[in-house]
Amino acid sequence: MAPRLPGGLLQLSQSLWDAQLIVPHISVRNFGIRSLNPPKPSRFNNHPDLPILESTSTAALRRKAYSLPLRTGAIGIKKGMTAIFDTETGKRIPCTVLQLDRVEVVSHKTRQKHGYFAVQVGAGWKHPSNVPNSLLGHFSANSISPKRHVFEFRVKDEAGLLPVGQSIQANWFQEGQYVDARSNTKGKGFAGVMKRHGFHGQDRSHGVSLKHRSMGSAGPSQGGGSRVYPGKKMAGNMGNTQNTVQNLKILKVDAESGIVVVSGRSINYPLACSFSPSLFANLFVILFPGAISGPKGCVVRIQDAIKKPWPEIASTETADAAATAA
Amino acid sequence: MAALPTMRPLGCLRSLLKTQGVMQPQLRCRFLSTAYSQRPQHVPLPQNVPEQFLSQLPTRMRPENAPKPIKVYTPPPSARKACKDPVAKVTESQLETLDPKGERKALFDYRRNPRSVKPGDIVRVTFKNGDPFNGVVLSIKLRGIDTSFLLRNELTRVAVEMSVKVFNPNVQSMEIVQRAQRKIRRARLYYMRSRKHDRRSVENVVNAYIRQKKAFMGGGKR
Repeated sequence: MAPRLPGGLLQLSQSLWDAQLIVPHISVRNFGIRSLNPPKPSRFNNHPDLPILESTSTAALRRKAYSLPLRTGAIGIKKGMTAIFDTETGKRIPCTVLQLDRVEVVSHKTRQKHGYFAVQVGAGWKHPSNVPNSLLGHFSANSISPKRHVFEFRVKDEAGLLPVGQSIQANWFQEGQYVDARSNTKGKGFAGVMKRHGFHGQDRSHGVSLKHRSMGSAGPSQGGGSRVYPGKKMAGNMGNTQNTVQNLKILKVDAESGIVVVSGRSINYPLACSFSPSLFANLFVILFPGAISGPKGCVVRIQDAIKKPWPEIASTETADAAATAA
Repeated sequence: MAALPTMRPLGCLRSLLKTQGVMQPQLRCRFLSTAYSQRPQHVPLPQNVPEQFLSQLPTRMRPENAPKPIKVYTPPPSARKACKDPVAKVTESQLETLDPKGERKALFDYRRNPRSVKPGDIVRVTFKNGDPFNGVVLSIKLRGIDTSFLLRNELTRVAVEMSVKVFNPNVQSMEIVQRAQRKIRRARLYYMRSRKHDRRSVENVVNAYIRQKKAFMGGGKR
């Protein structure tokens, strides 16, 4: 369909088209004739000085640049809790012991292909007969033994992508640095509102019958729309949801047995605890004071804390990687 | 169809008619699809098909497109096997520095050591900051590095209980002032909190012990 023209010129254009169709050999004289379709300014706002759009993936990455860790994390297994005595102050610090078992880099996620940078890390071992072929092929393509647990750790840029196949030992974390630990909480099953949301329940007496632990009204009356709002807190499944505990201090690292000891709470005083060097030659990670969600044997993902300065080793390593890449 | 009331008793015959009417057409005509036929047997592809016939096969069935076995890599040595109980290892390594000779452990290991502290004994604990605490042992908790015992005494006529961690580096010394007078038949003597069984202050016993100890030590020096 021919473009529609302003009303006054419509008739003229029709006649011109007709003339061209009938006598094709006639030469068109352009000079002195104004275009019937004067160039219109673009409907889109493409000025170079415009502000950058904030709803793009590029802008999202730029926003996250300060909160994305420089280097990957590791997958640990929660082995239980114990305590450490500070030899100077005599303070007892409750701590969680994690073990890193055969943690290796499985593959990468890149900005070009996936839209973000991340390191896919696997841990443990799973018998190949229990691994689906598609996943087995993924491991095989990257020359990795089948892993029981596979997780991604987002990193800021290419410098944080560890080479595929590299194993992550407990000494990936330094003693004294802070980490965030993610794990699933203990499942509590179908729980009532008192347990799940801390409601107060209803009276023991005053005419209440069979409703002592149940919620009261679920929604407002006529004025409030006379409906139950989405997200209303009710009884339901409780627990077994991911929880992140931030700013846990690494108390002790033993790379030989893959132990990480993590503190339970974030502590601000210097810690002086002595371990016999023979035992802690190299294998666990100990997180500091405090509790990490989940039962013993649960999978815990630990990565550099985003609310603390990056550990020195991370910044130097990534700088080196960037230098070698350049 | 509205039946007359007089015809109602005949209604019982209707079911008889119905079954006949339904059964008969089934027998008369049967669709081909419902006729039973043998299930086709799977004929395996003959082995070693000559090359000139391979092109007649669908591509997925040709030998070059057969599924390749996935190479499975062997796992690296396991850290779980190397260290089966990391928590015990952490505890052990701590005890090596906090209690190198195992004296404190033995002092409270009442299951194995007959000379250990037992509930009902009067124990004197001195701390690094200099404040001693005496009391009757109400209970002993054996929990590895968190092993502790509960002392009960009376200070300024107020009953005081204190839980002491055995391996706390702030604890300078622990000594048994007096063994239990009678055989204690319980592991936790919480009944001593009741007024009837309360031991009250043990300061007299402890002071006597200290005096005796001083005299003994002084005598030895001379």
